[in-house]
Amino acid sequence: MRKVILRGLAARKRRAFTLVVAVFLGVALTSGAYVLTDTINASFEDIFDESFAGTDVVVTPREVIEQDDQEPPPFPASLLNRVARVDGVAKAEGSIFSLGKIVDANGDPIGSEFAPNFISSASTEPFNTLTYEEGRPPETDDQAALDPTTAERGNLEIGDRVGVVGNRRLQTFEVAGIASLGDTDFGGAAVVTLTLREAQRITGKQGEFDQISVDAADGVEPDVLAQRLAAALPNTVEVRTGVEEAEQETESTKEDLSFLTIALLVFAGVAVVVGGFLIFNTFSITIAQRIREFGMLRTIGASRRQILGSVIGEALAIGIIGSVLGLAGGLAFAPAINALFESFEIDLPNTGTVLATRTVIVSLCVGILVTLISALSPALRATRVTPMAALLEGELPEGHRRGRIVSALGVLLVVLGIALVCIGLFGGIESSGSAAGLMGAGAAATLFGVAIFSPALVRPLASVAGLPMERLRRLTGKLARANAIRKPGRTAATAAALMIGLALVSFVTVFAAGISKSIDDAVDTLFAGDIIVQNQDGFSPIPAGVAREVADVEGVDRVTTIGYSSAKVAGISGDQRVSGIDPATVDGLVDFEVEAGAAPDQLGRNDAVIDQAFGDSEEAGIGDTLDTLTPTGKRVPYTVVGEVKDNADFLGSFIVTNQALRDDFGYDQAGTVVAGVAPGADFAATENRVKELVDRRFPIAEAQDTEELKQTQREQLNGLLSLIYALLALAVIVSIFGIVNTLALSIHERTRELGLLRAIGMSRRQVRQMVRYEAVITALIGAILGSILGIVFSILISRPLADEGFELSFPVGSLLILLVLAALAGVLAAIGPARRASRLDVLESLAYE
Amino acid sequence: MTDTQPTDPTRDGHRPIVIANDLQRRYGDGTAAVDALAGVSLSFDRGRFNAIMGPSGSGKSTLMHLLAGLDRPTSGTVVLDGIELGHLDDAELTQLRRDKIGFIFQFFNLLPTLDAEENIVLPLSIAGREADREWLHRLIETVDLSDRLTHRPAELSGGQQQRVAVARALISRPAVVFADEPTGNLDSVASEEILLTLRQAVDEFGQTVVMVTHDAHAASFADRIVVLRDGRVAHDGPCGSEDQILELVKEVG
Repeated sequence: MRKVILRGLAARKRRAFTLVVAVFLGVALTSGAYVLTDTINASFEDIFDESFAGTDVVVTPREVIEQDDQEPPPFPASLLNRVARVDGVAKAEGSIFSLGKIVDANGDPIGSEFAPNFISSASTEPFNTLTYEEGRPPETDDQAALDPTTAERGNLEIGDRVGVVGNRRLQTFEVAGIASLGDTDFGGAAVVTLTLREAQRITGKQGEFDQISVDAADGVEPDVLAQRLAAALPNTVEVRTGVEEAEQETESTKEDLSFLTIALLVFAGVAVVVGGFLIFNTFSITIAQRIREFGMLRTIGASRRQILGSVIGEALAIGIIGSVLGLAGGLAFAPAINALFESFEIDLPNTGTVLATRTVIVSLCVGILVTLISALSPALRATRVTPMAALLEGELPEGHRRGRIVSALGVLLVVLGIALVCIGLFGGIESSGSAAGLMGAGAAATLFGVAIFSPALVRPLASVAGLPMERLRRLTGKLARANAIRKPGRTAATAAALMIGLALVSFVTVFAAGISKSIDDAVDTLFAGDIIVQNQDGFSPIPAGVAREVADVEGVDRVTTIGYSSAKVAGISGDQRVSGIDPATVDGLVDFEVEAGAAPDQLGRNDAVIDQAFGDSEEAGIGDTLDTLTPTGKRVPYTVVGEVKDNADFLGSFIVTNQALRDDFGYDQAGTVVAGVAPGADFAATENRVKELVDRRFPIAEAQDTEELKQTQREQLNGLLSLIYALLALAVIVSIFGIVNTLALSIHERTRELGLLRAIGMSRRQVRQMVRYEAVITALIGAILGSILGIVFSILISRPLADEGFELSFPVGSLLILLVLAALAGVLAAIGPARRASRLDVLESLAYE
Repeated sequence: MTDTQPTDPTRDGHRPIVIANDLQRRYGDGTAAVDALAGVSLSFDRGRFNAIMGPSGSGKSTLMHLLAGLDRPTSGTVVLDGIELGHLDDAELTQLRRDKIGFIFQFFNLLPTLDAEENIVLPLSIAGREADREWLHRLIETVDLSDRLTHRPAELSGGQQQRVAVARALISRPAVVFADEPTGNLDSVASEEILLTLRQAVDEFGQTVVMVTHDAHAASFADRIVVLRDGRVAHDGPCGSEDQILELVKEVG
């Protein structure tokens, strides 16, 4: 029997090949996702191990509130004396490690815009972790050391000048040294090292440290020393051993990156599921075509078990080959995904590929199991073939009786799926993770349900999709449509594979359009007519001094600053984003939609204005007190005095004064600086002057008018969208293979018909056209179903966001382009099968049975 | 529609519509080579019903394939309606089949996705032409399918399916209709209907028919009988009664 399996596979090489490719792509993305993130994690582990190699104990600010886009506030330098006095401390040194921007002497950026830039202070032994490849550490306040990658990208050599922006104006330094961190680079980050004093000054942390490194005296164990230090220091700081700190940092990076692993695995999962459809469909068709062969085998004494075994064996062989190749492919895929990220200017560290046992096991299991499960139902059908089948003409009719039950099951799944999505959305589930899980499961169930139910939809959809072809070319269009609906189950399963990919693509397209529109609206409402200055990355803080200098620009008559931080509020779960405004200057520059109570320009020192959506969901209102825990660890009560409508959630949950943000939250930078142009002044000229100032003195920031700001926001969103498209493309490619397979098998079945058509005068071109149209119709059925589902999902999922001003907008153009692309995918899929169909020998085809 | 009308002067009068000159067809090569046709010269006059007979392997199907431009001879020439087939490339042969030849096969070979009427006009649809309604009606009446036009092949009996195939072969008023064992898969009643229809096409429409068959009864409807044996013409003469044909086949076969 094994011989029968292998011979069978060999005889159907092309089919086997496409199946292997389908398994391969899904598994490769799975293993690639693991390999990539494992590799990144391992690289960070190296970096952190290196960073804390010479340090026994580390003192850092306690992170009260986890802030994605901000560092915890530094602690007073006076702590260093208290540390030094603790028994067992041989040496202690304070240091700075802070976000900044490294530019060339002209203020132009070096390297990728999105790679993080850090300003660090030079350390003395034993804390120094830098290896100087060239030159030496900065000795004067005018000197700097650079990491090798940045030096190379900026084409900087010893003696050249490099610009650094921290929380001050741009300042240039002489490059004194080029230094790497042990064997690793800095994980894609650019690092400039300055003297401690200069690092403190330029980051606005005079008299403060980000970290104190401690060397234990001989004979004192680091963990013992850490305990002593913890006892001696206030609880606003965290004391860990160097080893713990490295582990801690690695862990937190891993956590930050886990979203990447999950996201990549979701895309891999989509590709795997689509591959499963392809396998199911191909096996179903080949088994239907081999009915007589199975009948013959049964006639000569093969048992049902042997028939089952032979089909399952074939699936197993394909699963194993595809998975092993996929696993290996993942090793190649990981760098490819990394390259993809790099092309979107996301630099991730990558030192030495990591292939974990988990990766091997998961990849192989996923690939093999999915193949087996997909082949199971067709295999069971093969066992029901009776010996009589060998004697009958043609193939056995496909099970029509089961049709209705299966359709009902499909509808049931759709209902269940939508119910799950709704529970996830509106069920008041606390954990956002399990809500997302429910919604994901619901979406998957819906997709499967539609896939199962879709044979019933094939006929009407084919009529719609085939209309242009029938109009254009009457006969070939008509025949193509007729062929597409001949075996609705087959066409539906083929289209369903494409549907899944396109549902996701159209979902993100519609959703992104909604986000884009909401942001546009919010920008128009809040900042109409203003010049906006913010960090080039769109979220990190900029120097507070920007506001003062912009105010001095000719033509600018008013300037106000908005700051962003986070806090916890007693009785409310999760971290809340908080904005700070300056009540004295905000009026007329930022136009809040005041819903109730006081406007933000009437805010007092301990007052807050809440976002209406926050108020509604947390049942907070005017007169209530927000018992707030700030990033510095302070507890401050703010009294709610007003409510605003904050579309696009620009300003977070509530707004306090900038003074509160500075004193209570330890925030002394600026988030967004908003400038108004004096009446009568030339807007464009003023804008140019502001831009020039920002470029020259604060190249970390960027000045934009509202149109430009909207444009930047759209571009960022589009960048993310392109990345998602690129990852979803894989699933779409798999589904194109599905169309290829189905077409090839159908053509094989229709050999005689094709021979007849050729005999009575159909040209090769017409045959190709007919096959191509069938592929296009199939693809369009998938695309239409997919877009509809995508739109339904985006409508559903945006419901809860509507309160926050999220407005759906339907990018009709993009959706039409999607349909055209799907049709093109069909054309692409049809190339091979159409060529084969047109090249069939007329005489042989006529004699073919 | 003009190109289905006789435009070539050679089609008029008693000039032959198909001429085969020393046709040879060899399959394989070396010692395994088989001569399916070993030199056949024949001509078929316009408006006549010809039967080609012969035992299995005599080369009768090969001859028909060569005459119809479905296969190419190893040597020799075929001239159909004044056109030498050897000079045509695949696209031209395809167009020739579309415009000048009608086919009837043993296994009806209808498109299952099209209904009866659509199958009948298929050759015209392929050419992108409209059917001549009057001609179509006449054909439909001739094959007696008026009440079956919207049926799919699966809903038709074998005889009805073959009548659709006959109408399809005639719809473009081809120069020649080639029929390959048209009754081979039918019961005697249905066979009779098909053969009478073909006879009618020759007598009433002036259609030229070349029919390959090994059935003496079927051959008895023809005007002329050609018997092949071992790839050569063993007999060529006017048709007699069914018994005479049986005798003839026994004699030369």
